Amino acid sequence: MPEDVNPSQKGPRIGFSVRGPRDFWGGIVLIALAILAIWASRDLPGQRGFAFGPGTAPRLFSGLLAFIGAAVAAGGLFVEGPPIEKYKIRGPLLVIISILLFAALIRPFGLVVASYVVFIVSILGSTEMRWIESVIAAAVMTLFCVLLFVYLLNLPFQLWPQSNAPTILWNQTADIVKNTLLMFQKAPPRP
Amino acid sequence: MSELLSNLLLGFQVASNPYNVLFCLIGALVGTLVGVLPGIGTVATIAMLLPITFGLPPVGALIMLAGIYYGAQYGGSTTSVLVNIPGEATSVVTCLDGHQMARQGRAGAALSIAAIGSFFAGCVSTVLVAALGGPLTSLALLFGPAEYFSLMVLGLIFAVVLAKGSVLKAIAMVLTGLLLSMVGSDLETGAGRMTFDVAELADGIGFTNIALGLFGFAEIIRNLELPAESREIVKAKVTGLMPTRKDLIDSSGAIARGTVLGSILGILPGGGAVIASFAAYTFVKRIANVPSRFGNGAIQGGAAPESANNAAAQTAFIPLLTLGIPPNAVMALMVGAMTIHGIVPGPQVMTKQPELFWGMIASMWLGNLMLVIINLPLVGVWVTLLRVPYRLLYPAIVVFCCIGIYSINNSPTDVVISALFGVIGFWLVKHDFEPAPLLLGFVLGPLMEENLRRAMLIARGDATVFFTRPISGTLLAIAIFLLLLAALPMIRKRREEVFVE
Repeated sequence: MPEDVNPSQKGPRIGFSVRGPRDFWGGIVLIALAILAIWASRDLPGQRGFAFGPGTAPRLFSGLLAFIGAAVAAGGLFVEGPPIEKYKIRGPLLVIISILLFAALIRPFGLVVASYVVFIVSILGSTEMRWIESVIAAAVMTLFCVLLFVYLLNLPFQLWPQSNAPTILWNQTADIVKNTLLMFQKAPPRP
Repeated sequence: MSELLSNLLLGFQVASNPYNVLFCLIGALVGTLVGVLPGIGTVATIAMLLPITFGLPPVGALIMLAGIYYGAQYGGSTTSVLVNIPGEATSVVTCLDGHQMARQGRAGAALSIAAIGSFFAGCVSTVLVAALGGPLTSLALLFGPAEYFSLMVLGLIFAVVLAKGSVLKAIAMVLTGLLLSMVGSDLETGAGRMTFDVAELADGIGFTNIALGLFGFAEIIRNLELPAESREIVKAKVTGLMPTRKDLIDSSGAIARGTVLGSILGILPGGGAVIASFAAYTFVKRIANVPSRFGNGAIQGGAAPESANNAAAQTAFIPLLTLGIPPNAVMALMVGAMTIHGIVPGPQVMTKQPELFWGMIASMWLGNLMLVIINLPLVGVWVTLLRVPYRLLYPAIVVFCCIGIYSINNSPTDVVISALFGVIGFWLVKHDFEPAPLLLGFVLGPLMEENLRRAMLIARGDATVFFTRPISGTLLAIAIFLLLLAALPMIRKRREEVFVE
């Protein structure tokens, strides 16, 4: 919950003082998002006569969002607001890394390995973690998940690592990198 | 009347099918579990358990999800009373007086009154759902695309107006949700929209990914930033479970008022159990003879919000089942669940699949009964679960969520997307944006756009059609009025004031 801090504390200094940094930067990001949406829908045909095209609604709502975002940012400029709390690194970063690790590991290495690793990595995000209990708890949780998802609910999961697991992992990662780069390269073809 | 009875009978036949009873029980249990554990919200749980219900028959799946929904409300009251930690957003208000009662050694009475009040509210609102289902359906037939669009605008405005924070930011969140819903394939031409050529996005961003990321992962990340001691739970021995006669008499008025308020607020789009609990508490406090008792263990302060949130939870199904419009984020997930099972929520559900509709209604009543049976004896068990230290609890949640998301499409991309939304949700909290309107906008987006386009097409590009058609115009007028009301600084300050109390 946002703490009520001394209002005379200003946000990041950028030449003129921003009185309500949360609103200001929030609004800026909203405007950026709206611009991104407009750019992403740039090749979609717009309105033809009185029929909406695929691009009409995205551009319409992006425009609205940009407008509202500007209003929010303006509010942040002139109205006092609490400062943005410092971002703690350890917890959030490790949890996100653990989730991404799951995505990377689940196919080549299977459910057991992925669950166990994710548990351990995410528990590292806590400042109070203790190794022995974490190792045991990870095992218990993995067992519970295997019983629940695979045996009780019959969901299709690869349980154990595949024989050429590291190769799969490497190919997977290479694919993702390739596709990400492709995303920004060429413009989508005009319909 | 006799038609109502025969429909209810059909419903009870469906609901008492042993499998459905089992699903109801599992749902109620899991829901209470969820409600008891702080940090896992109803939305996150339903999102988490959605993949599990894929293998179940549609009626069973929805009964289970419904059980989770109002079970979570019940479970939240347990932690609110015992340890002053709201297990659920709807139980925040219960903390105020409920916990004070516990401190005075009357935890048993507080818990029981909450359970009894909720049961009564559930019974009444089930009847309401059964009774109003028919009339609302014939009303639904008057709704054309313009009316639907305006109704959805009204719903989103409700969510904006009654949300806690700044109105402007809530609108921004709704718009963001709408934009996100447009990622995928265009409704009419099938062209890829804003997909950046990523194959997995061709069907849109999965709403389970967004829901789990924004509400599940973001909550965990957020909790990890808070200091450790705020999460440890103290041991509590609960004695004297039964309330006294005087307790029952005192709280009867509050239960009745809570039920009425909850039933009304649950139906309106954007209303919901959270607002109902908060409104009921405020109302009962304002009309009380001795307002200062509130906050110090007044039994009405626990009875009213609990009845209200349960009544609202039930009547929230009315717009969902009859008009196909989800009034809040949880119902939005139910729409998603229905769609996944191949059911299109709307007026046709009542006529084409009566066993689904009436079966759900009957199972709601059954679920309420089950919750009373489950909750009272099991208070001790739930408290034990609370003693699992958070540092061991949250990794379990992370693993559980990851597996759940992956199991939807066997696609690691889905997991990555929800990680992304976890970060986004974290950022939103930091900047005082509420994620709930975003989810609501996301779910209503496709419907809204479709109706907007259709209405414009029928009206040949004339935008004033939304105001000239009577029902549509009325709905939009109400929406604008509410917006103005909320935007007035005076009202806004008062809203914050009451919330701080």
